[in-house]
Amino acid sequence: MILVVANATAREALRGRTGLALLGFYAVAVLLSRIVGWITPTDGHLVTTDLVMSLQSVVGVLVAIATGTALVQSEIQSRTLYTVLSRPIPRWRFVVGKFAGLAAALIIGQAAMVALGLGYLAVTGAPVTGWLALAGAMTAAEVLIMAAVALALTAVSSPLLGAVLSIAVYALGHAVAGLPGLIHHLQAWQQTIAIVLASLVPNLGPYAYRAEAVHAVPLPWPELAQAAAYGGLWIALLVAITVITLDRRQL
Amino acid sequence: MMADLLSFSAVRYAYRGDWLNRIQALHGVDLTVPAGSAFGFLGANGAGKSTSIKLAVGLLHGHTGEIRLFGERIGDHRLRARIGYLPEHPYFYENLQVDEYLRYLGRLSGLSGADLTAACDRVYQLLDLGDLRRRGLRSFSKGMRQRFGLAQAILHRPDLVILDEPFSGLDPLWRARFKEVMQVERARGATLFFSSHILGDVEEICDHYAVIDRGTVLEQGRLRDLVGAAPLVLTGEGPAPQGAGPAGDGHWRLEFGEDRRADVLASLPTGARVVRLERQRLALEDWFVARVRAHHGAGRRLAEMSQG
Repeated sequence: MILVVANATAREALRGRTGLALLGFYAVAVLLSRIVGWITPTDGHLVTTDLVMSLQSVVGVLVAIATGTALVQSEIQSRTLYTVLSRPIPRWRFVVGKFAGLAAALIIGQAAMVALGLGYLAVTGAPVTGWLALAGAMTAAEVLIMAAVALALTAVSSPLLGAVLSIAVYALGHAVAGLPGLIHHLQAWQQTIAIVLASLVPNLGPYAYRAEAVHAVPLPWPELAQAAAYGGLWIALLVAITVITLDRRQL
Repeated sequence: MMADLLSFSAVRYAYRGDWLNRIQALHGVDLTVPAGSAFGFLGANGAGKSTSIKLAVGLLHGHTGEIRLFGERIGDHRLRARIGYLPEHPYFYENLQVDEYLRYLGRLSGLSGADLTAACDRVYQLLDLGDLRRRGLRSFSKGMRQRFGLAQAILHRPDLVILDEPFSGLDPLWRARFKEVMQVERARGATLFFSSHILGDVEEICDHYAVIDRGTVLEQGRLRDLVGAAPLVLTGEGPAPQGAGPAGDGHWRLEFGEDRRADVLASLPTGARVVRLERQRLALEDWFVARVRAHHGAGRRLAEMSQG
């Protein structure tokens, strides 16, 4: 059942216009990134590579938030789920299937971006290493977490508020990574607030491996495994929140 | 005797409104749908038809009272394998093709392999969708969506077919075709339960009916009993009995209930001759409007305003 829902969701998402439009935007932005490389006084290839990798994150997260907010909420509003949930499928399987399908579509989109980005870098003569591909995979993991964030926040609020809150979570999630260095400069009450806020959002720092990858700094495997497990737990938690919310939802 | 396939017993349901407000949609609905029947669920807009249906198919939770499906309390999602549901104004994923979509929904209903292909072929044939199987639903008109909606509802040969306003948005040709398909489903052994406020359709298809208004079932029963309750009309000539009115051509006309038939005929004045005795054709629509207005007084204020 989960796979059946996931398959239909992935097809629907891959044929959607939003994702294709943002992928087109990514392609144009990647082509234009070389201009920044030309005008930079330092190593142009490094700057272009950094830009291409960052674009994958920005566009990927935008796609994740756009599709994550629409995944279940738009189905409720457009009533497309009436013909699905009136069949013998429990709601939790529907939500898990929907997220699995979206995740598959996002991974395909991310893989296309990595292939396009790295292909372009290779054509322009920039050094392309396996670390860059790994950085692309880490960004894809970040995108999946953000899709789950958007899904859960929309389930407990509304699509617009969910999208705004997701962007805030993305910003906070990256700020959390710098918290250990900052916290000693804060007063006690500020430290408490910072720790509470930090524990409410996923730490996206471990997935921002782009800068290191550009300089071919290796990523230790234990850190990679830890990041994968951490991301998986957050996704499971966020999907569970969505399941609980949808289960009580009046359709 | 037919067993009840779907039953509501004292079912109350309230929607969550703004903040703490709750909107009471159903006020103790009692309803029984016998197996094998074609059941017309009548009601004006906002009467509670769709809410009742959504509760039956598991889209809404949190009711009080008891709903039984196939003799069991609803709640077990497996029971839904035996129902087919067409929502009111159905919406579908825009980017999937007809065939993909039907196969998707068929798999969710437990079909696979050759059974699924055969089921798809059957509904393509019934609803003339075969040539459209590669078309995306994005390009479908309202009527075509309704056809697809009925196709997915009967795809898995459900025991209970629940249709919410099935004739909405259909041209006369497709209305006729839908009725034929519903008869085919019934002949297969399915029970039909559909809501409508187009009473001619109900009269044509159904053998059972219920009227809901403001969240309460006003009455339910066999349609033939309702039609049988229509008054008799006696047309005669010669001396007129008491209470008769003129009917043209020198004839008189007398209306009375079935229970007075023998008395009226026995007490006709000497020399009176019966020209014809027939049952007045029940105008279901007029009956429905009168029944609902009597319940909540709709139109009373308008009548008062026009008089005053």
